Amino acid sequence: MSDISLTIEEGAFVSILGPSGCGKSTLLYIVGGFVSPTSGAAKMKGKTISGPGPDRGPVFQEFALFPWKTVLGNVMYGPRQQGVQAAEAEGQSRALIEMVGLKGYENFYPKELSGGMKQRVALARTLAYHPEVLLMDEPFGALDAHTRTRLQNDLLNIWERDRKTVLFVTHSVDEAVFLSDKVVMMSKSPGRIRQVINIDLPRPRRRNELLLDPRYQKYVVDIERMFDEVDETGSPL
Amino acid sequence: MTSRLVPMNVVLGLAPIALVIAVWQGLVSSGLAPASLLPPPGIVFGRLLQQLVTWTYQQEIASTLFRLFAGFAIAVVLGVGIGIAAAANPAINAVVRPIVRVLAPLPKVALYPALLLLLGFGHGSKITLVAADALFPILLSTYYGASSVEQKLIWSAMAAGTPRYEILFKVVLPAAMPSILTGCRIGLVISCIVVFLAEMITSTDGLGHVLVTAARTFQAVDMFVPLITISLLGLILNGLLGVLRSYLLRGFPEA
Amino acid sequence: MISAAALAKRVAPVFACFGLLAVWQIAALALKNDSFPTAIEAIRAIPDILGDKEALINILASLRRMAMGFGVAVLVSIPLGLLMGRSRAVAALFNPLLMVIYPVPKAALMPIIMLWLGVGDITKTLVIFLGVSLPVIYHSFEGAKAVEEKMLWSGAAMGLSAMQRLVWIVLPAALPEILTGCRTGLVLALITMITSEMIARQSGAGNILFNALDMGQYDTVYAMIIIVGAMGICLDAMFERVRARLVRWSEPQFDLPLSFS
Repeated sequence: MSDISLTIEEGAFVSILGPSGCGKSTLLYIVGGFVSPTSGAAKMKGKTISGPGPDRGPVFQEFALFPWKTVLGNVMYGPRQQGVQAAEAEGQSRALIEMVGLKGYENFYPKELSGGMKQRVALARTLAYHPEVLLMDEPFGALDAHTRTRLQNDLLNIWERDRKTVLFVTHSVDEAVFLSDKVVMMSKSPGRIRQVINIDLPRPRRRNELLLDPRYQKYVVDIERMFDEVDETGSPL
Repeated sequence: MTSRLVPMNVVLGLAPIALVIAVWQGLVSSGLAPASLLPPPGIVFGRLLQQLVTWTYQQEIASTLFRLFAGFAIAVVLGVGIGIAAAANPAINAVVRPIVRVLAPLPKVALYPALLLLLGFGHGSKITLVAADALFPILLSTYYGASSVEQKLIWSAMAAGTPRYEILFKVVLPAAMPSILTGCRIGLVISCIVVFLAEMITSTDGLGHVLVTAARTFQAVDMFVPLITISLLGLILNGLLGVLRSYLLRGFPEA
Repeated sequence: MISAAALAKRVAPVFACFGLLAVWQIAALALKNDSFPTAIEAIRAIPDILGDKEALINILASLRRMAMGFGVAVLVSIPLGLLMGRSRAVAALFNPLLMVIYPVPKAALMPIIMLWLGVGDITKTLVIFLGVSLPVIYHSFEGAKAVEEKMLWSGAAMGLSAMQRLVWIVLPAALPEILTGCRTGLVLALITMITSEMIARQSGAGNILFNALDMGQYDTVYAMIIIVGAMGICLDAMFERVRARLVRWSEPQFDLPLSFS
């Protein structure tokens, strides 16, 4: 990656879109503080990011749930780590599990859940410690198409409630347009920001209405065309 | 389907064991093997039951078990400790790795004479030998498990506010648990075998000693009894560890 | 060209050897115990043992039996393990029997087998054979079980018979795992050999160890420990080189031996 300069406003839903290998996940990991940039710096509210912290909560494509903990145990992990009393943490966590639609599964282990359910738990686990920014790394990439659209809808509904800042990495154009206020288009090797597109579509968004909306269709077509161009600059064929 | 398959498998599995016992009985009954060399299975198992209730035999089992557990416990503590430390810290890794590379393939039993000279003929030398033999499988599988913990598991915990030193106990140790328990299982069986052999080579009590005493007086029946006892102990301990494993790993897939 | 890191990796075990010997030397000097000679004294005694014709013949005979036992065990165990891995019936047939044999201390069978077959080569080789078989069967079994089903389907589609699939697909695919088992088996062969010699007290490296112990020749005891240790390390290192060549295509493994079951 080189010459990345990007500022994200509070409360915005921003997608980072690009072909595989452009470093879009790495960008997210730098913001998360999991890896440090070889040069330059990432800042949050003016302070340089030096490591992971509960103000930035990741949701990974691989779910990364703790297999030795139940659904409830996974969701309670963050609050307990923050020093919240057990009873209080449990109450909050149960509410969150209900919010992501998994009421009744509190005592299940991750291995007993489907992919979509696991990702709901992962989202609840991250929301449980109230991060200011959600860092989502192709969170729906490992799910089938049907589960994927359902989770997109549910994510938007949850997001509408408190409008946290979201940084969302994806390689799916319609996912990016459907969810975001802003799409950051990256190009392949070296990873650079190609263009930033504002998505001016009304919220709350309903999938069935949006799919028929010509403005939505235009965004998708334009970005897809751009996607083809950046992909080609990367490969000489 | 499965309900029919399972008893089928049990029958299949018991067949060779039954066959071994039948051949054993047949050899004795037909007179091909004299009973002084190969006592019939009925007599051996009868003798085993008879011995198991005697106080002296229980004493022998107790001293064998004491050495076994002491050695195994030391091996678990050292193996898991060093394994995790080597996986977590590059400096420790650089020191431990070549030493393990040299010591792991070394036949530990060769150290036994030296242990006898240094620690005497009592418990100490045998416990040390058991620990030395059980250490490496536990250490290596801990190291393997701890160094292949999914990175994003650690990141998730760090983002939730877990300090670095706590990551070791809250994420790395539980995530490496399947691998650690596999190592412990191997280590436990090795412990059983080694404690018995050490007692055979030189001892004044324990199951291995019982076998050697019987061998000196050519008491074939009494040679089989301690051997079967230690093997049964191995099977039982292995089973108990299996139960513990499925409890500890109830959340893990394929456990 | 060897990179600096690779060079360090190769030299590190040598340093570890010297380090361990140095620790020994210092400990012996500090303890000043008659029955604990220094490393240098022990190393000085090595040429005496290797110069002694009888001892040398004994050790070589031990190694020959070990090679025999190991070789036969590998030849029998690999096909059995592969069959078990690919056929549920064969696995169901042998698994319980192997599970029962697994915790039996193989070297402890020495006195019993001696009773039947005498103290000859057959007894000693048989005990080694028993010691080596189990890990090789187990790893071959695991390796064969893990072979991708679709690879076998492709083979069947190309017209390979079940037997040909076992030899041309399952065997190479399971080879990394099989070799892990053989590596464990090799170390176990040495261990079983030494232990059974210690128990039988007739001849061989294990016997030399305890004879020297009985006669109070402590430097010989320690020298012999070094020799046996060196045998273990050399055998393992040699096998590791062979293994690395044979399965160059496979995913890089940990360069540490993983199991000693």
